[in-house]
Amino acid sequence: MSKLIIVIPLLPVLSAIFIQLTAAKLERRAAWVSAMATGLTFALTLVVLALEASGVSLQTMCLTHAWGELLSDPLSAIMGTLIAGISLIVHLYSVRYMVEETGYARFFVLLDLMTASLLVLVAAADLITMLIAWHIIGVLLYFLLGHDTRSQSSFRYAFWTFITYRLGDIALVMAAALLYHAYGTWSLADIFAHIHADPDKRGLLGFSVVAETAAFLAIAAFARSAQFLLHNWLPYTMDGPTPVSALMHAGIVNAGGFLVNRFAPVFVYSGDVLHGLFIVGLFTAVIGSVLMLAQNDIKKSLGYSTMGQMGFMIMECGVGAFSLAVYHLIAHGLFKGTLFLGSGSVIGEARLDDGVPKDDLYTFVVERRTAKRRPPWLMMAAMTLTIPALVLVLAHWLVSPAFYQEQGAVILLFFGWVTGTQLLFATFRMRTERAAHLFTIVLASFTVIVIGYTLISHVFELFMYPDPAFRELIHRASNINFVWFDILIALTTIIIVFGWLSTHYAERGGKRGPQKPRPVWLSFYALISREFYLADIYAWFTRMVLRLAANLNVWFRWV
Amino acid sequence: MLSLTLILAAIFLPLFPFSMLFNLLYARVRNPWLRSVILLVWPLIGLTVTRTFSSIPDWLPVWAVLTSALYALRALGLREVGLWTGFMATSSWALLWVLENDGLSAVQLELFAVGISVPLALMAVLTGGLEKRYGAAYLGLYGGLAQTIPRFAGVLVMVVLAVIATPLFPTFFAMLSIIIKAIPVMPYLAMGVGLVWMLWSWAGAKLLQGLIVGPKQAAVVDLGMANMWAYVAILVALVMGGVCWLGVML
Repeated sequence: MSKLIIVIPLLPVLSAIFIQLTAAKLERRAAWVSAMATGLTFALTLVVLALEASGVSLQTMCLTHAWGELLSDPLSAIMGTLIAGISLIVHLYSVRYMVEETGYARFFVLLDLMTASLLVLVAAADLITMLIAWHIIGVLLYFLLGHDTRSQSSFRYAFWTFITYRLGDIALVMAAALLYHAYGTWSLADIFAHIHADPDKRGLLGFSVVAETAAFLAIAAFARSAQFLLHNWLPYTMDGPTPVSALMHAGIVNAGGFLVNRFAPVFVYSGDVLHGLFIVGLFTAVIGSVLMLAQNDIKKSLGYSTMGQMGFMIMECGVGAFSLAVYHLIAHGLFKGTLFLGSGSVIGEARLDDGVPKDDLYTFVVERRTAKRRPPWLMMAAMTLTIPALVLVLAHWLVSPAFYQEQGAVILLFFGWVTGTQLLFATFRMRTERAAHLFTIVLASFTVIVIGYTLISHVFELFMYPDPAFRELIHRASNINFVWFDILIALTTIIIVFGWLSTHYAERGGKRGPQKPRPVWLSFYALISREFYLADIYAWFTRMVLRLAANLNVWFRWV
Repeated sequence: MLSLTLILAAIFLPLFPFSMLFNLLYARVRNPWLRSVILLVWPLIGLTVTRTFSSIPDWLPVWAVLTSALYALRALGLREVGLWTGFMATSSWALLWVLENDGLSAVQLELFAVGISVPLALMAVLTGGLEKRYGAAYLGLYGGLAQTIPRFAGVLVMVVLAVIATPLFPTFFAMLSIIIKAIPVMPYLAMGVGLVWMLWSWAGAKLLQGLIVGPKQAAVVDLGMANMWAYVAILVALVMGGVCWLGVML
């Protein structure tokens, strides 16, 4: 049974080799060979997941004496199933979608190799195997995004992805080298055992090995999951084929969340790095969402939406909700994959009929008509502040009372509160005639989502981290100083209250009628519409480096 | 006497400015097969010379990494594929100095050198092939190789990937070994090697973009099937060699 661990990534590799060797004879049938191999792979990943869920642990398989190890654990089983599942959908979609493209067989060869690399990555039990898979994914993605070899722009944007990934690759190499130097082994299990035995071991330049490693791992995760300053590649890779965009946004970009979970035994002893993850993730989530709202191109908008979601995923890791991040990446992978694969049809159908029901939301958003009456301001403000909090407390009480004693869970609860507040606030602004009906629907949806989310995250946590002592370590590492914690909570509350007071002022005594936008708003809009000028800054930097290289060659006479 | 030997070693395991001699010679030689032989033999001579040293000064690996970074950076500004190969060779071989004081046997060091040189030698032969077909091997001059001569373009892509240290080629294991050896002695040096690796990737991507991407050009003869399989066999042997000889050293 343990051989399944090897067979799962081997199947797509064999499919790729077979298609490459017989492409001329197979012609269009190459796609079906590839899809069938992926279907079989998916079925096998389901078997492994079922075995893991039933408590049957498969043995680690080792190809050489020092590396080449593959394992099966809850994380690899969940991720393997997700990867194979999304890959299967992408394969089936591509059978017809790519049929008129040149390099049809090459596309499926690359897709199979990508599936195999992703499966090896999540099952890697040693650092070298993980490094190999991590590197190869970047290279394969470069060629998948540049599938149309006639298009210079495809390759230009594929290069952005490639070079950002290389930054993450080097960071991961550094982390691996530090761990190997400190513990003298490539095996992840042995390294984690050493770390658990002596988490304060000093490394290079007098810093803790664990902290140094965690910092490099965080950089690798940031590059792969498009965190702020390393995100530019994500919204600009839309020149690649749509199935590749779907695979990238649904699967590959999640690697950051996977990496944090795989190296959880390192991160639990490096609380400062976890706090860094929280800050970077939070910032990315906000910036990504703001940039998404400023786009008028559906695919670019989806790109920035992914950036925001990845920020939220990294933020979840930062508050110690490691397993929640895995659930989030699965949920995001499925809905974002669906959105990408459906985006073409949506555009096509929207040209004939927008399909938007002419309800309250339509009249508010599209026709900008508002009802004359609406619920009292004070009642809505009180509901906004209390109902989301009550729903969240109820959810945690129903699922696990102990869970919401943790600081990280409280912070997530707070984000839920903010989201609920925003939802009610938007509903209030709609000035619906059927307020009670709408609020009931909104609250029912909110309650179901929150309770479902909390329940699933709790189940995931028990499945992925069954050891209560380790779960306690995760929560302890992510805790922050209580003063800072209270300040954060107070600040968020003030922002919500301020939002309601502004509404009150605008309703009762504020200026009415159309107003000219203030210069500061115009400047802010210019800034976000130019995407903070980051692409321009990187392009300028690239030109400077190339000019320096050219000048050096002239000075040294090309020798 | 030691300084003379050191200079000789600095020519064959190139250290700036002695590295200019190799690049001058490489630019003068136009025959692709002779270029390949030079690429295979040059670092082995350097390793033979360094075998006479009991140890090397501490500043030498730093100089070597700076040399490597200089040539990796300069490779970004090149359009001529022959010069690009020479610069990449200089950049790669210079890093062998980092492994010098590490207690590796002469055979192990030579394996690393061969693993680095074979893809460069293949690159030299492919450059000859481009010059034969188009009269020059220049980035951005014609492009579209993937559309025009797909077999040649496929082999070129794989060879460039081997040169820029992509897994599972020997260069990948060489780079990994160099970083692992550097990190306990000089952590910043290891970061420098990482930067060199990134510059190689950039240079490789730029080369591919300038050659294989673009619309179909006027018909020229593609690589024959026999030749293509010969290249594939060498590349597979490289991968096997990388995993079996260099990979096991990690």
